[in-house]
Amino acid sequence: MSLFKAREWWSATLGHDEEFDQGCLCIADIDNSGKGQDKIIVGSYKGFLRIFSPRPSKPGESMVPQDQMLEVQLKDSIIQIEVGKYVSGTELLHLAALHPRKLTVFSVSGIAGTVEHGNQYQLRLVYEHNLQRTACNMVSGPFGGVKGRDFICIQSMDGILMFFEQESFSFSRFLPGFLLPGPLSYNPRTDAFITVSSLRQVENYKYQTLAVATDVDCRAESEQQKLGSGKRLTADWTLMIGEQAMDICILSSAQAASFVFVLGERNFFCIKANGQMRFMKKLEYNPSCFLPYASVIEGTINSLVGNHNNMLLVYQDVTLRWAAQLPHVPVALRVVLYCFFLGPGSSSAVTFHVFLAGSLSPAELGGDVAVSYTTATGVPRVAQCKFILPLKLVCSPTPPSKSVPCRITIDTNKPPVSLQDIFPDFVEKTEEEQVHAIGFQLVSGSRVTVLASKTSQRYRIQGEVFEDLWLITKELVERFEKHFANQGAKDFQCSFTGPIPLAEYFEIIDRHFELRLNAEKYQNLLAERAVQFRAIQRRLLTRFKDKTPAPLQNLDTLMDATYRQVIVLGDAAEENESALCQAFTRLKSATHLFLLLLRLWQSLNKEQTDILEATFLPLLQDTSQLGWEECVDAAVTHHLRTCLSRSPKEQALNLTSQLALPRDTVRLRKHISLLCDRMAKGGRLCLSAEGSAPIPVIMPGMCDTESRSRGSAGAKPSQHRAQGRN
Amino acid sequence: MVLDMDPLFLAWSYFRRRKFQTCSELCSEILEKSPYDQAAWSLKTRALTEIVYVDEVDVDQEGIAEMMLDDHAIAQVARPGTSLKLPGTSQGGGPSPAVRPVTHAGRPITGFVRPSTQSGRPGTMEQAIKTPRTAHTARPVSSASGRYVRLGTASMLTSPDGPFINLSRLNLAKYAQKPNLSKALFEYIFHHENDVKNALELAALSTEHAQFKDWWWKVQLGKCYYRLGLLREAEKQFKSALKQQDMVDTFLFLTKVYIRLDQPLAALNLLKQGLDVFPREVTLLTGIARIYEEMNNITSATEYYKEVLKQDNTHVEAIACIGSNHFYTDQPEIALRFYRRLLQMGVYNCQLYNNLGLCCFYAQQYDMTLSSFERALSLAANDEEVADVWYNLGHVAIGIGDSNLAYQCFKLALANNNDHAEAYNNLAVLELRKGRIEQVRFFSGYLYGILCMFRLN
Repeated sequence: MSLFKAREWWSATLGHDEEFDQGCLCIADIDNSGKGQDKIIVGSYKGFLRIFSPRPSKPGESMVPQDQMLEVQLKDSIIQIEVGKYVSGTELLHLAALHPRKLTVFSVSGIAGTVEHGNQYQLRLVYEHNLQRTACNMVSGPFGGVKGRDFICIQSMDGILMFFEQESFSFSRFLPGFLLPGPLSYNPRTDAFITVSSLRQVENYKYQTLAVATDVDCRAESEQQKLGSGKRLTADWTLMIGEQAMDICILSSAQAASFVFVLGERNFFCIKANGQMRFMKKLEYNPSCFLPYASVIEGTINSLVGNHNNMLLVYQDVTLRWAAQLPHVPVALRVVLYCFFLGPGSSSAVTFHVFLAGSLSPAELGGDVAVSYTTATGVPRVAQCKFILPLKLVCSPTPPSKSVPCRITIDTNKPPVSLQDIFPDFVEKTEEEQVHAIGFQLVSGSRVTVLASKTSQRYRIQGEVFEDLWLITKELVERFEKHFANQGAKDFQCSFTGPIPLAEYFEIIDRHFELRLNAEKYQNLLAERAVQFRAIQRRLLTRFKDKTPAPLQNLDTLMDATYRQVIVLGDAAEENESALCQAFTRLKSATHLFLLLLRLWQSLNKEQTDILEATFLPLLQDTSQLGWEECVDAAVTHHLRTCLSRSPKEQALNLTSQLALPRDTVRLRKHISLLCDRMAKGGRLCLSAEGSAPIPVIMPGMCDTESRSRGSAGAKPSQHRAQGRN
Repeated sequence: MVLDMDPLFLAWSYFRRRKFQTCSELCSEILEKSPYDQAAWSLKTRALTEIVYVDEVDVDQEGIAEMMLDDHAIAQVARPGTSLKLPGTSQGGGPSPAVRPVTHAGRPITGFVRPSTQSGRPGTMEQAIKTPRTAHTARPVSSASGRYVRLGTASMLTSPDGPFINLSRLNLAKYAQKPNLSKALFEYIFHHENDVKNALELAALSTEHAQFKDWWWKVQLGKCYYRLGLLREAEKQFKSALKQQDMVDTFLFLTKVYIRLDQPLAALNLLKQGLDVFPREVTLLTGIARIYEEMNNITSATEYYKEVLKQDNTHVEAIACIGSNHFYTDQPEIALRFYRRLLQMGVYNCQLYNNLGLCCFYAQQYDMTLSSFERALSLAANDEEVADVWYNLGHVAIGIGDSNLAYQCFKLALANNNDHAEAYNNLAVLELRKGRIEQVRFFSGYLYGILCMFRLN
């Protein structure tokens, strides 16, 4: 959460699939150019060593080849790099690379070419030490207060500090109570090493103490890097911080005393050189790296902290001064230039699957997909697409069947075509010239047959169940239109001679309505039982709380029984719910078919069809609060009162603006019949409100809430009361 | 070229970069080869703990059983200004509960959802029985179920060969002797296994081994006691830890104990002591502000929230709380600026747009009002949020005099959340205006039912 975004000054993407950690970044004038321009040195776990000298002409520009001074692959992976005066006899800077089992020191030199891109850089091995233990990290500095030289101390994975005085090995020492390595740092002011051990305390060891803790017997051994046990090593001071540390940094300014900064997993500590805490700050995020540096204001210290929420925060002591959003999680930070190592990129292709739940034919074969996502930089995006699935997914060809209860006849105004041309994906190539019947078996198991008349231009769709005719009829009409459009016929028209099979349609409505009534019944029963359950539980709780134990009087049995009743009722309600869901799908199919027939019958145009669809299919799903029946009834009544009204008396009819579950479907059935009747007599629908009848507000259906990732912090919705409270 | 690296080093490096799954897999490989590798074992416990870690300071939900069986209360009716459970005793001159809405428990609504504010809004038993107990909708029923929401994920981690550490076979006395192992092990038992009893035993043994000189173990003992409801014991341990070493976390834990004991004044004192040791510490300042807010002392709360913002100007909670306070004291224009700031900072959710919409409406910037509510509706994550937005839209409708629209809005609020008492109330008022007494009686019947339900709980 930040107002700001960090602007990139320069960046380089390093290799492919390479890994980096804390120690892999270093800043120094490594080629000793003397111009004071610092170079960025990066080592990777794959063994690549790269040196950059960024000089972008304008901020935000990506790397140009001249910026890269060197790239070599070493034989071992690089776990840390440091720069210092590691070679005896010279005060020039050299590069030390720590490998799992080896320490190598290189010198880097540049040979100027005639043009800029002709410059050459060389890496020359000066010396190397083989290590007998796996190294973990290292620290360098003028141990013991030497002048003009830097020594190196390596911490191994099993807790041995190995000291190297430039080309020679000096001694090694076990850290007491060691289990896992912590960060290590050297304080030149007090000549001491500071680490955070597995005991979760900051431990300070004087170099002197480390060196003296060896006794004579072990010195011979230690020449071969064997462990020098010696006198029991004790820490100069310790401070329990109660957590493991990510990093330790030591900052000493010229005037003030030096401070030890410890970045823990959950807190940020500043400790004085004598082991007393100066301040601590609780961090409310997971830090990844930090870097303290001297502030411009006397007596305060600024710290840069990077965290795993892609933020870079700047603190002045404990006060947050600035926060900025970064594109990635930083692993290492260095001042002068900040470099952030990249994570893997993200692709933006989305694959989704469509499943058919249950063995019920779907009401629609199309759908919309909307994907809302947040890009890596935090910008929300939405992508949308519509799709239509092929009919073949929900039905398969079967032999046609003859006598069935439900049938519809569609007329056309063109000469009959072979069904083979219309449904090439369902009919195998046959010798016969004309195919007059095709059978379809839907996933629900019911069969639908399409028959083409041999002489006239009629087609009959017949099946066992009314609503299952929908998919096939729709497909047939659509394919006809496509077929004749391909042939270039412009005035093709399908028609239906009527009457509309209202009886079948009403039957489906009734079935759906009955299930809704059932659902409400279960709801009431469940609420009743739940109240009973709570009452029993309350009594039990009071009884248990009572100081003098009283008999339970079979309350526990009662509670058990009520609980079982609640479960059984819940199961029944769930079952009813799924039946309701199926019935609603059926209802949708039937409604679609009803609308299609109405359109063909009265040859309605697109505008009329749209209004009809909005009237009859207002909901994506119905709920106990707002169901299909009342919505459709309200909409149909509205049409009957406005555009389909016969007399002004009807317009004046008042209706309730409240949508509630009706007692039965008689009214709805009457209204739908009336609508068909009026349309048959030439009535047409329109939305422009003529007449002054108040339009009842029909609220849109509940939209499905999409799951979305949300920030952890959320402001609570504020609520406001009504003025008139009695 | 594939370079061989020490697996333990790699695991350690992954741990640093918070790739805990990879780290734990690598450790498992090491442990297969050498089962007694303590370093790998310890690293794996730490990685598994980190995966499910929730800051214990933030975990706080009082279950129905704790509220019912509270043995710590001394007096049934506390003196005014000394208790969090006695609502309606405003001392800070803040708006009265008639203006600023309160939660079901009678505390003023804050501008920010935090764990403890949810305890004031317990779901009814019916709801608890009806709703599926997923990690998202879990509501506290009793102390045993659905309490530590995120910790539930621990049981979902499938380890092919059973649990990583079999606690019942662990010789805790032996591990207490190894201070470098025991702390990681304790956190594993406490956070990952959520087994407070064993954690307590280990902590007790370890603090003895450390000769009672390690404050960390005392804090852990306190945490265990707190979870077990032994508040006085927890208080003793935290106080003893504070004597040894001042830590921010210890202050916060002790504050939690006092809040649970319903001693807000002691908690405030303690936090102020903490501020003497750690001046300008944001978490302590926030703690003070929260307590003042719960005590209905809004003026002081706002002062401290402002102090928080001086230290950390990206603090979402402080901005949201100051904003809502301005809103309820009739300064919607200023509240609007705070909420806009949140929007600029990247907070993007239903609640924020809802509040923006309300502020716009009361600040008479009507062009923005409806579009804000529309966005709020499209961002709503659950039915309760949808209900709240519709409820507020109903208010806007009342404000513009469209009682038909208001009626529909309140109905929609009820459709999404059927125990929305305010919506019932307002519907009843609307019906009364129309003169339909029967309907009024119907809605007030519902309202009465809801009120009774919460009184009972």
